[in-house]
Amino acid sequence: MAAEVVAAAITDIELMKASQIGMKAIGAGLAVGLTGLASGIAEMAIGSAAVGATAENKDVFGLVLLLTVIPETIVIFGLVVGLLLLF
Amino acid sequence: MLKPEQMSKLLIAATRDQMGPVIAELYRHNLFHIEDYVEASAEGYEGFKIGTPLKGASEASGDLVKIRAIQNTFSIRSEDFEAKQRLRQSGLQALIERDLPAIEKEVEGLTVERSKLETKVKEYEQKISELTPFTGIPGDLDLYRGYSNLVVFAGYVEKEVSFSVPHETFVSKGKGRHFLVVIAPVVHRNDVEKALQEAGYQAVTIPDESGVPQERISFYSSQIASFKKEIEDTSRKLDVIKETHAEFLVACEEILKVQVDQTEAPLRFATTDETFVAEGWVPSASVEDLKQALVKATGGKIFVTVLPTNIEHDVVPVEYDNPPFAKPTQMLMDVYSRPKYSELDPTLMLSIVFPLFFGLILGDVGYGLILLAMCLGLRKFLKGEEGTQLLTVLRNASFSSILFGLLYSEFLGFALPWSPIMFSRHLNIGAHATGHGPQIPELMILAIWIGLLHITLGRVLGMVNHARQDHGDHRIKAVMANFGWICVMWGILMVIWSIVQMPYMPDFTTLPEIVSGVNIAAVVGAVMLIAGIVFIARDSGLELVELPTIISHVLSYARIVAVGLSSVAIAMVVNYIAIGMLIEPQLENITIVGVLFIVMGVAVFLIGHALNTALGILGAGLHSIRLHYVEFFTKFYKGGGRKYSPFGLNRRFTED
Repeated sequence: MAAEVVAAAITDIELMKASQIGMKAIGAGLAVGLTGLASGIAEMAIGSAAVGATAENKDVFGLVLLLTVIPETIVIFGLVVGLLLLF
Repeated sequence: MLKPEQMSKLLIAATRDQMGPVIAELYRHNLFHIEDYVEASAEGYEGFKIGTPLKGASEASGDLVKIRAIQNTFSIRSEDFEAKQRLRQSGLQALIERDLPAIEKEVEGLTVERSKLETKVKEYEQKISELTPFTGIPGDLDLYRGYSNLVVFAGYVEKEVSFSVPHETFVSKGKGRHFLVVIAPVVHRNDVEKALQEAGYQAVTIPDESGVPQERISFYSSQIASFKKEIEDTSRKLDVIKETHAEFLVACEEILKVQVDQTEAPLRFATTDETFVAEGWVPSASVEDLKQALVKATGGKIFVTVLPTNIEHDVVPVEYDNPPFAKPTQMLMDVYSRPKYSELDPTLMLSIVFPLFFGLILGDVGYGLILLAMCLGLRKFLKGEEGTQLLTVLRNASFSSILFGLLYSEFLGFALPWSPIMFSRHLNIGAHATGHGPQIPELMILAIWIGLLHITLGRVLGMVNHARQDHGDHRIKAVMANFGWICVMWGILMVIWSIVQMPYMPDFTTLPEIVSGVNIAAVVGAVMLIAGIVFIARDSGLELVELPTIISHVLSYARIVAVGLSSVAIAMVVNYIAIGMLIEPQLENITIVGVLFIVMGVAVFLIGHALNTALGILGAGLHSIRLHYVEFFTKFYKGGGRKYSPFGLNRRFTED
């Protein structure tokens, strides 16, 4: 009787552990995916303006490249969070 | 190295009759960057005027325009030609006068003829498309016009129409809409129009032709065919001219460009009635040679002197001064911005670190070899200077990829026969995958270390730049502010190290405690942090809002690992699908369907790796250069220097 209860408890704990790992993976995926979307949306407007500016004056290329990649920080943070979750 | 080439400002003054020889000599040396004389703003040049072109300028530019027009017709570009033997200028001069008008006339005649024929073809094609709807209606085209009591409608309707008035209708049915011709008495015109309107009528112009539509169409088609043949003949004739004269044309263009440049040079000089003065920049090392050459060319009737350079006011043109292996990287610098004259030139660092980053990211022997082959193969097609430089930069990057591929033990996503010498990037992909898996924490720490050192180097260079460029009170403050940024970054690190233990990083957690759980390293770190913030704030308080970039910029180097891992993952997935899922199971027992699967597997393998090569090269290249442009250059580099473009030309097809 007691042995059965213990076995059931062990299975429960194993299940919980497995679902925790799964939750971690989902969390990591969300962290990278959502921040990636956010970066993309932010870069969208800057990028199109940057291309327009470069077409008018080629010299600003370096500067507008900087401006375009500023939102990339968001996804880098997402990536770091994701990796911290997984490893 | 690390500095642009030293320049000297040269002033040349001579009598006007020496202008020709002086210009020719300057042009031949290709060293003198002319500072254009602008009448309004020139100090100390009262009474001077802009010069007038030398004799022959308008003829030469007229001829140049003609040659360029012909080159345009043939789409000949001088960059596409290998210079075989150089033609003598004097001989060519005579040829230009003799042959050029004839060639021009011939080419012009042929192109005019060709464009006439092309217009004709278009016109006839239009006619055919007008006639086509009428082919479905029996009867001659004459029958559609010339009535006084009847009216003719021709056009498309969307549905069938019935008329309540006397009429004659012909319909050719089509998909979705029908072509319809209605002939009705003029008196019933309004009724017919109304009925047509309801059926969604779209009128079609009745062609002004006579005869059966089908016959007319075949007549026009045959005409078009013969025109096309004539166009081909003309194009062939033009090709023959192109073949025979292409090299002559590029040589002519070069000579005429030389003439135009030289004869129009006085427009950039300051002149009086009897004399002229030219100012410009020459690399300091070549000043003496140029001086002597000018004195010799004019028989001593010239005054040449070096003017003092004022770094504050003079906009000195910038020419790179790099060792040969770093020269191609100048292209990547020019994409961002050429350094200012007083600035550090980071080309050398870029030329070393860029391939290293590229290799760290791509790090695969297979992809490295593919890139190397591509660079060597494309050399034949990309002839321009920038193209060759880009290929050389990528070639260096491919060497580095191969090297890191050996260290990572990767070949197109497969493992090489040894285990990774550096940290492993092998992912466990597929059902049977075993092994250690990627050493992500170690790789991340490596990337962070690279970031810390790269950014510290950038700040140190920032200190050097400010020490060189600024003056007075601001100079000290700016240098200290850069030092402050270094202090803040390493201060934060010290505090972190005193709290957390991390692999491959100093461990300060065991140091003796000073007060309530705070040890010596944490105290030192905190002091550095606060001192750094004070240094930064003393230069500009507004800069403090940038403090979080310390973390984001360092973490940004994590992309070295992330982008690299993603390309490894794609490669391994492609291998698993192609070999593990499609090819291998079939090899045990070969059937006809199995062969099909194997072919599919090979296709997946090839397409997948082709795609991943493109992605890998693009990703590795862009992210390595971005780390330089955004994280490294923003710490010290401004750019905005003016390009040194000496007066002269590297002749390729001709000689004096």
